[in-house]
Amino acid sequence: MGLQCYFGGTTIQTLKLAAIPASSRFILNPIPKTLVLNSFSRHNYVYCPLRNPFKLLLRALSATAVQTAPATESLDNKVVKPQWKAAIDFKWIRDNKDAVALNIKNRNSNANLELVLELYEKMLAVQKEVERLRGERNAVANKMKGKLEISERQKLIEEGKNLKEGLATLEEDLVKLTDELQLEAQCIPNMTHPNVPIGGEDSSTVRKMAGTPRDFGFPVKDHLQLGKELDLFDFDAAAEVSGSKFYYLKNEAVLLEMALVNWTLSEVMKKGFTPLTTPELVRSSVVEKCGFQPRGDNTQVYSIEGSDQCLIGTAEIPVGGIHMDAILAETQLPLKYVAFSHCFRTEAGAAGAATRGLYRVHQFSKVEMFVLCRPEESESYHEELIKIEEDLFSALGLHYKTFDMASGDLGAPAYRKFDVEAWMPGLGRYGEISSASNCLDYQSRRLGIRYRPSEPTPAPLKKGKGSVAPTKFVHTLNATACAVPRMIVCLLENYQQEDGSVIIPGPLRAFMGGLELITPKST
Amino acid sequence: MKGKLEISERQKLIEEGKNLKEGLATLEEDLVKLTDELQLEAQCIPNMTHPNVPIGGEDSSTVRKMAGTPRDFGFPVKDHLQLGKELDLFDFDAAAEVSGSKFYYLKNEAVLLEMALVNWTLSEVMKKGFTPLTTPELVRSSVVEKCGFQPRGDNTQVYSIEGSDQCLIGTAEIPVGGIHMDAILAETQLPLKYVAFSHCFRTEAGAAGAATRGLYRVHQFSKVEMFVLCRPEESESYHEELIKIEEDLFSALGLHYKTFDMASGDLGAPAYRKFDVEAWMPGLGRYGEISSASNCLDYQSRRLGIRYRPSEPTPAPLKKGKGSVAPTKFVHTLNATACAVPRMIVCLLENYQQEDGSVIIPGPLRAFMGGLELITPKST
Repeated sequence: MGLQCYFGGTTIQTLKLAAIPASSRFILNPIPKTLVLNSFSRHNYVYCPLRNPFKLLLRALSATAVQTAPATESLDNKVVKPQWKAAIDFKWIRDNKDAVALNIKNRNSNANLELVLELYEKMLAVQKEVERLRGERNAVANKMKGKLEISERQKLIEEGKNLKEGLATLEEDLVKLTDELQLEAQCIPNMTHPNVPIGGEDSSTVRKMAGTPRDFGFPVKDHLQLGKELDLFDFDAAAEVSGSKFYYLKNEAVLLEMALVNWTLSEVMKKGFTPLTTPELVRSSVVEKCGFQPRGDNTQVYSIEGSDQCLIGTAEIPVGGIHMDAILAETQLPLKYVAFSHCFRTEAGAAGAATRGLYRVHQFSKVEMFVLCRPEESESYHEELIKIEEDLFSALGLHYKTFDMASGDLGAPAYRKFDVEAWMPGLGRYGEISSASNCLDYQSRRLGIRYRPSEPTPAPLKKGKGSVAPTKFVHTLNATACAVPRMIVCLLENYQQEDGSVIIPGPLRAFMGGLELITPKST
Repeated sequence: MKGKLEISERQKLIEEGKNLKEGLATLEEDLVKLTDELQLEAQCIPNMTHPNVPIGGEDSSTVRKMAGTPRDFGFPVKDHLQLGKELDLFDFDAAAEVSGSKFYYLKNEAVLLEMALVNWTLSEVMKKGFTPLTTPELVRSSVVEKCGFQPRGDNTQVYSIEGSDQCLIGTAEIPVGGIHMDAILAETQLPLKYVAFSHCFRTEAGAAGAATRGLYRVHQFSKVEMFVLCRPEESESYHEELIKIEEDLFSALGLHYKTFDMASGDLGAPAYRKFDVEAWMPGLGRYGEISSASNCLDYQSRRLGIRYRPSEPTPAPLKKGKGSVAPTKFVHTLNATACAVPRMIVCLLENYQQEDGSVIIPGPLRAFMGGLELITPKST
């Protein structure tokens, strides 16, 4: 048993984050007799994107993905060490395991709760044993300080040595257990808001609907055709220069993008959000801490060759990273950011009709809102964020529906997620234009973002060491204020005229030098 | 062998034919190898140089024009990093944790300043008849090479994507140059004048030392770039037009700068002639490059395969036969920085600082910043 069986005896170059279960290591190690291990023989082949070497290998063999598996390391007998640790509350998971199990099921997650609980119990047991042995070793060390006969001293030296060796082995096992526990537990998705509908995407419910589909009275063109006739984009040249799903914006489309970004930033700033631009290259560990999988199957993430850096798919990532490993003062909260960045997505695995033109592209501009707040306030900020989004879209005259996304359609980090889909007459259906998630402390436990509550009562008379309030994790939320290409699709398709021109919605005109109409050019 | 032959004669010919075929195959292989090697070596030959370009290293570059004078402050001058800290405009420390050194977040008014610089620049250059563009920032590495850059050389400035032949662009010159790759344009289409806004990514490998503090040298920045494709006889005059546009932009912002005619040792391989503008950065205590305008003649177009077909020169000829279509020529390409945002931010903050720590916003940008006239210290 062991690694050879696990991999079917083949020599597979592992991919960096393929976790080899510690189980085999345990069976190969001498087991201290005080420790009883349950059988690890039934190692569950957990499909957690971080640890799925077979699938990663298969993907490496297929030529279609833009990004193939990362640099390989040779298979060795160790558990892959996680680069960073999430501050996961294992005790809470254990104490609420039924709720956690149900949640995993409702979300169609492949997290292995049983294994997590097993590993946790074992870790606790090993930890206890380690502490006991340390106690004994200290006792021996103390005894050796006194006056002893040579034979007694000799015995103690022997005992001390045995304890030291046993301790070293156990401490090694403890590290491995902790690492494996970490890797498995990171797969457990966030809990779910009680009002979230249970099921797949068809179970998502409509929270709000605004506007109605426009009645055109003439044949409606899609944004690609409008773009061609108005000389607004070039997909063909971009396909040669860069590949499919890339594009140049031209002429008024450039002004439209600038206007959308400027107007959105300006509107959201009025609501007290601090504007930011962000790095678009970030360390892959930051991507992971936000709950994304830079090196998983069908990863959405572009990686940089010869570096641990990735391109961001959303400003949520660099903004989430700003306060990594920090302890904020309660008075600093809430922190409300509105960030403009370019976003890059491989869109691996996204195929089909919903990929034409600007609807699904590898690079786009986006204005993103990000909030860090106290736990008791996250639900109300979630409502605030979705209201800001809906007000923006209504101001632009769009017809849209806001969905409360069902449990099977939430990303792992989201406790609750509202998606807005706008009517795209050229596409003939609703298309997603924004997403607003409340992540509770899922991201902050990984990013290490805490706050220290202010003193609750009037200045205490005695301010001693123990009277500083313990830190808590902040809650984080993120919401799309403007995803430019999707907005351009909406505006072009909804505001087209019979003569082929496109009306520019009122709020954007000042940001376009007063332009009111995009008209066909004389060729 | 098509005619009637005796068997022995035929046999001889077959033998001869076979020998010729083998000899030919070998030679053809050699020809391919020679052609390939010739190509690789010849690609290294830099563009020719304009006769007026000073010969020598960077100290030989001459000043073509100087505008404005260094401001007389009357109080101790702060550099942009200190101003940025006091005005809460950037965060380099958080970016170093999230991304690495030479990355940054812009915050508050600095974001508005970036948007204003880009919007104003685009608007001004569009008035001069340039077509605005946004471009892909991931391009095939072959396109990078065709523009005259080395994506995979030592100390390359280019970030490559893992598992792909794609790279991040260091300038919009690259994707814009690629738009008309392998095309034959009509003469009437020329000139094509583009003004492109993109983010740019540079490894800055090999760039060390004092001139790397803060926003002066960063891995990622926003830039508005002008790119012209034109007939050969017009490239020199478009070079003059481009540098004039740049100088007008910088003068409108009230900057004090010098325009250099870059010496032969300091041109990039693609440039026939290159004008760099260096603006006075009082916090740095010296002039810093804020733009570069190059005339590449047909260096890039020969690599990108961008040709044009001259129109018929005389009134409609009576006989229009196969041979009367004019042969194609290579266009000339030029590129010029209209606005490199971080360097402009350095200039504006350092030059427009006040004794009380606030920074005046130059007139042309105010309308693009909701009328804001001053960046003031925040009450903390």
